[in-house]
Amino acid sequence: MPIPEDRPIHLPAPDPADRRRFLTVLSQAFLALWGLGAAAVVGAYLKAPEKGDAERTVSAGLLADYRVGEGRLVRHGVTPFYVVRLDATRVLALSAVCTHVRCILGYEPARRTLVCPCHDGRFDLSGNVLSGPPPRSLPSYPVSVRAGEIFVQL
Amino acid sequence: MNGPGRQGPPARGSWVDWLEQRVNLSEIFSFITHFGLVYTPVDTQKPVREVLRDVAAEPVPRYAHGARALGLLAAILFGLQIMTGVLLAYYYRPTPEAAFESTRTIMRDLPGGWFIHQMHAWGSWLLVAVIVLRLLRLFWEGLYRAPREVLWWCAVAMTWVVIQSDFTGRLLTWDSHTYWSTVRGLEVMWAIPIVGPVLAFLLGGRTVNADVLIRFYVLHVMVLPAFYAAFLYLTFATLRRVGLSRTGPAHDERTIHYREHLYSMTMLTVGLFAILVTLATLLPLGFHGVADPYATPGGVRPPWYMLAPYFLLQQLPLPWLSGFVLLVAAVAVLLLPLWLRGDETRERRLRIRLAGIAVLVAWLVLGVLGALLERR
Amino acid sequence: MKTTLAFLLLAAAVTAVHAQTGTPAPLAGPAAVTAASGRCGVCHPAERVQFEKSRHALESVRCISCHGGDDRSLEAGTAHGTGFRGRPARQDIPRLCATCHADETRMRPYNLPVDQYALYQTSGHGQRLARGDRQVAVCSDCHGAHEILASRDPASSVYQLNIPQTCGRCHGDRAVPGTRGHRDVLKQYRSSVHARALIEQGNLRAPTCVSCHGVHGANPPNIGDIDKVCGQCHTAERRYYTAGGHAVTRGGKRPECASCHEAHGVQAAQPERLASSCAGCHKGDTRRLDLGRRLWTDYRTAADEVDKAAAMVAKADAIPIQTEDYHARIEEARTYLREALPAAHSVQPEIVAGFTTRARAVGQEVQKELEGKLANLRQHRYVLIAFWFYVLLTLFVLKRFRDQAARNR
Repeated sequence: MPIPEDRPIHLPAPDPADRRRFLTVLSQAFLALWGLGAAAVVGAYLKAPEKGDAERTVSAGLLADYRVGEGRLVRHGVTPFYVVRLDATRVLALSAVCTHVRCILGYEPARRTLVCPCHDGRFDLSGNVLSGPPPRSLPSYPVSVRAGEIFVQL
Repeated sequence: MNGPGRQGPPARGSWVDWLEQRVNLSEIFSFITHFGLVYTPVDTQKPVREVLRDVAAEPVPRYAHGARALGLLAAILFGLQIMTGVLLAYYYRPTPEAAFESTRTIMRDLPGGWFIHQMHAWGSWLLVAVIVLRLLRLFWEGLYRAPREVLWWCAVAMTWVVIQSDFTGRLLTWDSHTYWSTVRGLEVMWAIPIVGPVLAFLLGGRTVNADVLIRFYVLHVMVLPAFYAAFLYLTFATLRRVGLSRTGPAHDERTIHYREHLYSMTMLTVGLFAILVTLATLLPLGFHGVADPYATPGGVRPPWYMLAPYFLLQQLPLPWLSGFVLLVAAVAVLLLPLWLRGDETRERRLRIRLAGIAVLVAWLVLGVLGALLERR
Repeated sequence: MKTTLAFLLLAAAVTAVHAQTGTPAPLAGPAAVTAASGRCGVCHPAERVQFEKSRHALESVRCISCHGGDDRSLEAGTAHGTGFRGRPARQDIPRLCATCHADETRMRPYNLPVDQYALYQTSGHGQRLARGDRQVAVCSDCHGAHEILASRDPASSVYQLNIPQTCGRCHGDRAVPGTRGHRDVLKQYRSSVHARALIEQGNLRAPTCVSCHGVHGANPPNIGDIDKVCGQCHTAERRYYTAGGHAVTRGGKRPECASCHEAHGVQAAQPERLASSCAGCHKGDTRRLDLGRRLWTDYRTAADEVDKAAAMVAKADAIPIQTEDYHARIEEARTYLREALPAAHSVQPEIVAGFTTRARAVGQEVQKELEGKLANLRQHRYVLIAFWFYVLLTLFVLKRFRDQAARNR
């Protein structure tokens, strides 16, 4: 279109078909958000959780954090347990729930016994009952140390 | 959204042409639409773009409108159930030890898991409601008459399949209430003659144990959806032969193009999805705890659709007679088009409708009485 | 004549054996001379059968060890001849048993103690016997006369599970005059939580009569000693009791375990009694009664908080929300509550409050955190509103597309 010199410059009038196409594309992009949203939700859901079966294996912290002879209570769900470091390399884990009336045990490092505050039941580190009313010995759990971290298999 | 048949620039469609030289795309499209979406036969000899144009321009009655939309809603819900069901099946484990735990993992630990689970749970409620309403609507409008008998049979069969899917699905969570309501429901089913022993054989026994759970799982996930798809196919095959019904005042002759109908269907889908999301968020369906086969919680009833037979079988003397009556009634409902033939006059239609209302009310009353049986 | 008699007796003995055991007797006929019973069993078949079952029969103990006489003869004159002691008099039985059981050399291979006779002489039974009262228990009353079994043998009358019954033969009988007014103690004991642990739960560590009264030196505990007896197992309660205000004897009286808990019919801990048992002695003493009530209020408010927290956890489980940590903390709180009850024996509110405050704190913490999580869930509703805006906008856009298609029809 020739530009007349004595008139101000006009931009070409917008083509209604262009605008419609623009709006259409915009609307389609808007509707495509549904697809994105669904993809995001489904994707997050389908991403396999790292835990899964490994839920039953609980981390009890780093081996270096335990002094030799130290026993620590790990509050895990309804199965709290004690992790005791015996020496430089050996660690054991046993249940912290007294087999008498299910009080939570305390640990006496000097005597290496687990003591129940309710009726003074005592267990050794193998779980055997040393004295007091508990009728059964304590269950223990397999422990593995991987990359300096203690894992207990419940 | 790309409507079918839009005139795109030729360069864009070249891959379509490339593909069409290697495989009949129209046939693929026809196969997909055998199971729904399109109500008229598709000419597989034409190139796919022409086919799509023809379909888009096809005149259909204003279908996504009022009661007519029930079929569409059922199909949409079924699709949603399949999608959410597949997602749930990724994490669900069908053994008595792991069923409840895996369901709880989905609900509690997985991101969005609660959402997918609730959509599936509410979706099942809505699907049952829609499919039953559709059946009632077909009865009301007399749409079982010739030549639409096959539609009626498919509708009855799909109602049965959906109710069975609901029944098998509820056991899968292994929740204490659903476990025991399944046990009660099975008691009701076994009391019906002929059907009972057959079902006991198919389900593998009279106690709900690990084997029965696996069978329920297989039924729910593979067998019943396959049957539903088969009946869906039959429905559309019939529609392609007899055409969509024209009901309403003075047989509304208005038609729209299929393209608009597709937009209406999409709006329906969006609306339905929104309702489901709202229900899933505001009224989540919860658990009662893991099922214990040795401890029955109080006040657990058979599923609601079994309350009427439950009442009949419990309260009337000679339970085998009630079972027989129920069986005869079920067969009568199925074979409705065959014994409700004849001229359709206004009084006849009114009488049929009234009889239908009476049966429905009786069913509801029996169901309420069955529910009240547990209060004592 | 003699052979006929012997034959008839043989037949009688064999039938007696069959009638008693139902299984064929493992030994030869009673006419055989066994190491244990000799020929005594020919005339005394019942006793012989009992004796052959006993522990003594397996060792070198014979009928003549206790009864004297000659066990090789079938003639009453010879058998009951020189050295025959016959049925020992009751007051002689302890000394008779002690001839072996107080002999260390003899008992050492079996690792059996040898102090039973000495202890018996200090016991209530022994002291009364020494004073001439013969209506007291002697060795055979508890262990049996002929059918004596090791105490580890479940069929023994002195097996842990059978001890209440054995002692109860006298002390459970209302006709026998009890000591210190304890009558019918067997029935009381059977209703107790100790008996339930022993019999229903099979816990062999549960206390029986001998756990508190002693075995051979059986005596009721003295005033001032009762807490030591109960404290064998209930160490925590005893520790708090001795640190508290009740561990004093005044005028020959002392509030001890049995003052608030029954001696024999002990029941499981009933925290409500923190408020009610004080009135048994401190009638009208408002200060002390208030103290008791305060202990109970402290405990009850803490227990209520923990119960509320537990109920919230149960509700959260049903939704479900992750509650594993909360279960552990509720257990922790309940342990504090259980520790508070022994602490109450000190009758010092500060000590008890140490535990109850901790329990209450955990309960309140759990409640607050769960409320936070439930509030988070409610946030979903606001997201829902935003979602509906988006839905309506989408429907609007779709409608525009549809109308466009309709116009192009």
